[in-house]
Amino acid sequence: MENGLEKKYIELNMGPQHPSTHGVLRLKLLLDGETVKHVEPVIGYLHRNAEKICELDYYCDSLIYFDRMDYVAAMNMEIGYLEAAEKLLAIEPTERVKWIRVVMAELGRIASHLVWAGAFGLDLGMLTPFFYFFEEREKILNIFTEVSGSRQETNYMSIGGVYQDFNDKIIYKIREFLKQFPKKLEEAYSLFVKNDIFISRTKGIGILEPEVALSYGVTGPMLRASGVPYDVRKDAPYLVYDKLNFDIPISKGKDVLSRFIVRFEEMRQSVKIVQQALDKIPDGPYFNPKAKKSLMIRLRGEGDVYARTESPKGEFGVHLIGDGTVKPYRVHVRSPSFKNLSILPYLSRDVLIADMVAISGSIDLVFGEVDR
Amino acid sequence: MNLLTRIADIFGFLGHFPAYAIAYIVETLIVIIFGTVAVAGMVYLFRKYMARVQIRIGPNRVGKFGLLQVMADGLKLFQKESIMPSGRDDLAYKVAPVMVFIGLMMGFVFIPYGPLAWFGSLTVTHSDVSLVILFALIAIMPIGEILSGIASNNKYAMLGALRGVAKDISFEVPMMLSILSVVVMASANVTNPLDLNGIIQAQSIPFIILEPLGFIIFFISMIARASQSPFDMGESDSELVTGNTTEYSGLRFGMFYLGLFGTIFLGSMIVSIMYLGGYNGPEVGYLGFVWLLIKTMILVVITLTVWLSMPRVRIDKFVNFGWKILLPLSFIQLIAAGFLTLGGIA
Repeated sequence: MENGLEKKYIELNMGPQHPSTHGVLRLKLLLDGETVKHVEPVIGYLHRNAEKICELDYYCDSLIYFDRMDYVAAMNMEIGYLEAAEKLLAIEPTERVKWIRVVMAELGRIASHLVWAGAFGLDLGMLTPFFYFFEEREKILNIFTEVSGSRQETNYMSIGGVYQDFNDKIIYKIREFLKQFPKKLEEAYSLFVKNDIFISRTKGIGILEPEVALSYGVTGPMLRASGVPYDVRKDAPYLVYDKLNFDIPISKGKDVLSRFIVRFEEMRQSVKIVQQALDKIPDGPYFNPKAKKSLMIRLRGEGDVYARTESPKGEFGVHLIGDGTVKPYRVHVRSPSFKNLSILPYLSRDVLIADMVAISGSIDLVFGEVDR
Repeated sequence: MNLLTRIADIFGFLGHFPAYAIAYIVETLIVIIFGTVAVAGMVYLFRKYMARVQIRIGPNRVGKFGLLQVMADGLKLFQKESIMPSGRDDLAYKVAPVMVFIGLMMGFVFIPYGPLAWFGSLTVTHSDVSLVILFALIAIMPIGEILSGIASNNKYAMLGALRGVAKDISFEVPMMLSILSVVVMASANVTNPLDLNGIIQAQSIPFIILEPLGFIIFFISMIARASQSPFDMGESDSELVTGNTTEYSGLRFGMFYLGLFGTIFLGSMIVSIMYLGGYNGPEVGYLGFVWLLIKTMILVVITLTVWLSMPRVRIDKFVNFGWKILLPLSFIQLIAAGFLTLGGIA
């Protein structure tokens, strides 16, 4: 410095018990006044050793640990695991099951994005929309309760099938939800995007160039908001996504606002998918007879599989290695939140604290999945 | 005959001076109790209103319709252990919440409440420059907030206090200029335009009609003064935990809480006096106080609605807004007020 004084930054510790950090994220900040000079995310506060525990369990039992990874979108996590496990065990789910899973996955995606939108509003100091989103989410959780008996950690699916078949009541409930949801969604959406303060807080903040995003391994709505139309559902279709008609929303904005818009557009697309799936759902058994309950713990798998699915946060990959016994040799998860979190220090260079909070909010972090 | 003389009459047997001394003390106490009860009522209203807006029910367990919830919360705060940070500046830490509380309550004393039925005028005291005194008194409150931030030995608190300073200096100048234009307008009709009573008497037409711009500037400033959303950068719970009040607990926190809601109430009262004609209305001599309360409550509800529906403004944007938009607008307003006064419209 010119006056001979050493320039000192304020070191600030945000989290893990901070009201704005999602879950148990801890951020070590270096501040120059209000400006963030450096961010260091510290993770591991929710580490539960899920991958190792999965290696100690039968193939059918590991599902519950995946429920607890991304705990706001448990259905999508289950599908992620089952895609890999069914490939390894060579058990194909029946046709009806595939459609049921698509319905559940898309409802889970809507629920997850609703939680995100509510929490994002809180990050920006908007308390009220949070309750509107959670009201809608609760309706989805009621549907989950109807099918699985559990609100959040559903444990609904199993190898080769699902726990319980769709009945008329469930389908009626889903249709009732879909009937009123788009209107509520638009109402809440306008609460945000018609607000000048919201626009000024999000537009042009946290710009993420597509090349940078790709080099960091960012996926999901974060990547699509940067203009890259990459979605596993389209690029490597699993289940029956190739038989459904839907768009992959992208945005050219690359900023926090476009992430917001992309996620809302995804919810609209998900509604479309669920509607189509409900119309097309075929009759048939709801589990594969090769994987009925009595045979479940005798399933043996050998080989090395990697399956990827599109979870609400991004590309969710599961790597399973079987050594011919009833338990997997190795389970590894490519969690999208973890990869997306790695972009935070890059994005929060020389921004204000308020913007840093907006950026970390826009990533959609769920710590069950980051730490596993 | 006003309330003060009525009380003084009761103590008349003590002689003129002691009777008035006691009367002043009693009425000040009444006003402080009124202020506290009004704030408690407003907290209840706020919680119920917020719950309705957010599709919830709100407090409904303590007392009928949860009416005693605020009291229960107050008692809880009273009983709580006051946990104080180590390395604090002890005196400043302890004085800060008291300053906020005193600044608020002193503000209530100078409000012209207007007459109410048999009691007569409820105003405690008046001065020819009560406007200046009032704003000098409520300017004590930010000092308490800044002091609390510096004394807490906490980085969140200090950042909150720094933001508080940046916020305060950016809206206070436009606020005082819009007050000045009110004074200019009032000076056309009355001889004591620096007196809040004079300002009310000058408003045969409420100033909100003559100075809509000034009303907007002043109202925004009052929302910012109460440091509530969208201008709650000082507390900003998602960034700085709770800013300057982070390290406070128990009764000391209660004083800050009271300060927050009290400022909303007092601010709305001042706005209704300056721009909506205060206690003016039909049957002034009998219902003046009621009119003031009704106008205040309308403004309070508007303020709370703003609170509930807005995200937080970023601090640098607010500073820009204050200096680059509000300040020029308030100058324009002042010039316009001058022309209106010269033209004899006011």
